[in-house]
Amino acid sequence: MATSSHSNPDPASDDTSPTPTSATSRQQAASPLPNQPPMPEAIVTTVTPGMPPAAADRLDVDSATRANALSTMQCVVDLADSVVCIADDLHERILQEIAGYNDRTMPDAQKALMRALTDDERLLRQYAHALYADAATFVIQDLKEPQHRLMALTAEAAEKIRRIGVIGEVTGLVGGILLLVGSIARGQFSQVGAALEKIQLHNATLKTLKPDSTANT
Amino acid sequence: MARRVLVLVGLLVAGCASTGQVSLGEVREFADASARLGGYAELSRRYRDTYDRESPYLSPQAERVARDTDARRRAVFDDFVAIQKTLVLYMQTLSSLAGDGRYDLSGRIDDLGSGLKAMTDSGLQQRHVAAYTGMTRLLTRVITSRYQNRSVDTMVRDGNADVQTLIDAMIVLTRIYEKANENERKTVLGLFNAEIPMANRNTDRMLVTLAKVHLQNKTAEYKLIDRRYKLAQQGLTKVALGHQKMRENMDKLSSEETRHMLAGYVHDLNLIRDALSGE
Repeated sequence: MATSSHSNPDPASDDTSPTPTSATSRQQAASPLPNQPPMPEAIVTTVTPGMPPAAADRLDVDSATRANALSTMQCVVDLADSVVCIADDLHERILQEIAGYNDRTMPDAQKALMRALTDDERLLRQYAHALYADAATFVIQDLKEPQHRLMALTAEAAEKIRRIGVIGEVTGLVGGILLLVGSIARGQFSQVGAALEKIQLHNATLKTLKPDSTANT
Repeated sequence: MARRVLVLVGLLVAGCASTGQVSLGEVREFADASARLGGYAELSRRYRDTYDRESPYLSPQAERVARDTDARRRAVFDDFVAIQKTLVLYMQTLSSLAGDGRYDLSGRIDDLGSGLKAMTDSGLQQRHVAAYTGMTRLLTRVITSRYQNRSVDTMVRDGNADVQTLIDAMIVLTRIYEKANENERKTVLGLFNAEIPMANRNTDRMLVTLAKVHLQNKTAEYKLIDRRYKLAQQGLTKVALGHQKMRENMDKLSSEETRHMLAGYVHDLNLIRDALSGE
């Protein structure tokens, strides 16, 4: 959760007494803490989902290299992080305001204001989400080419696997030939038929497995 | 004739055996472990479904923005997953190429053996047959493994740059998923953190109790998922590093050092996979 405001005292929260009037204005409560990024309202007005400010305008995405795409992506992520940071600060302000009441019941008007502020916080977070979605889209830009190359390489490797299958068949074929030769040498003609059958079987397999002349190009 | 065959095979064995034994076992295990890693696909789906989980907690205005973002997440989801599918297919094929199951030629060598046994009465002695079988086994292994080794070498060498690019993209996307998840966590839990202290009337007691139970469950859910982003990133980093090291050491795959290094990556990947599947 938000962590920043305890170490960065907020002028509005210096008043430790729970005086609702000290920060009852939505505008006041939403004002930035010292050393923090700009007003949430500024972000809300400049950030539109699907159109990250500045980033989209600056870049001609079609001609960007992958490095540029990643660089742009990082800019958008940084921007989204800033929006999250503002939302965190706003959240912290809301919690401080609520905590100021201790166990006393908060007036309905003040509750309504706090809820309006939490709505603002959640809206900011949705804008951050929109920016993260933009950043993620930048990541996959220019990835089609590496993917296609890798797929082609994989297909080529699959073809090689088939070829190695052929080497196996060659080995079997050699075995068949040796059996045939041995049988003939020993005069065991009864085995010649089996040996020939084996050779034919391996030969047929070889033909089936033989890679196309175009397959490996 | 049988003696001529023996001499021919002997010469072939002598020629080929000098190339040394090629070890692709570690390559296969690394490719297997990389293909089975997991994590990324699940986290991609979780990212795609962000709106489904968040929508009950959003104001109407925030929900309008969220719906638009949801449509954009879903539009690119297939592209996110395609990256992983390409990589998994690559690793599975590399595993097959480096695998020994596919090249188990024992059945065929048995054929060769029976061919040799048939020659025992034709001037070959039994010890010749034994040596012959042994040499033939070595010959087939050397012939095949030389071809395998070249093929694996080509695949790893030619594929490395693209593998690195795709894994890098997956790591970056996983980091974005993690950031989006963190933002979602703050959206969901933040609502309760603000609302529960404000609901301090007696009539709110039951509601507050239920809200606290829900908050506990959601907190546990996010705590559990947080770890998975880190594990997935660690796993992908290991795959990238392992493949890079394999590429750099293709000419010494049989060396003890290279085999030990690859075995180390396999060990780490299996640990990460177990951690991902055990949660």
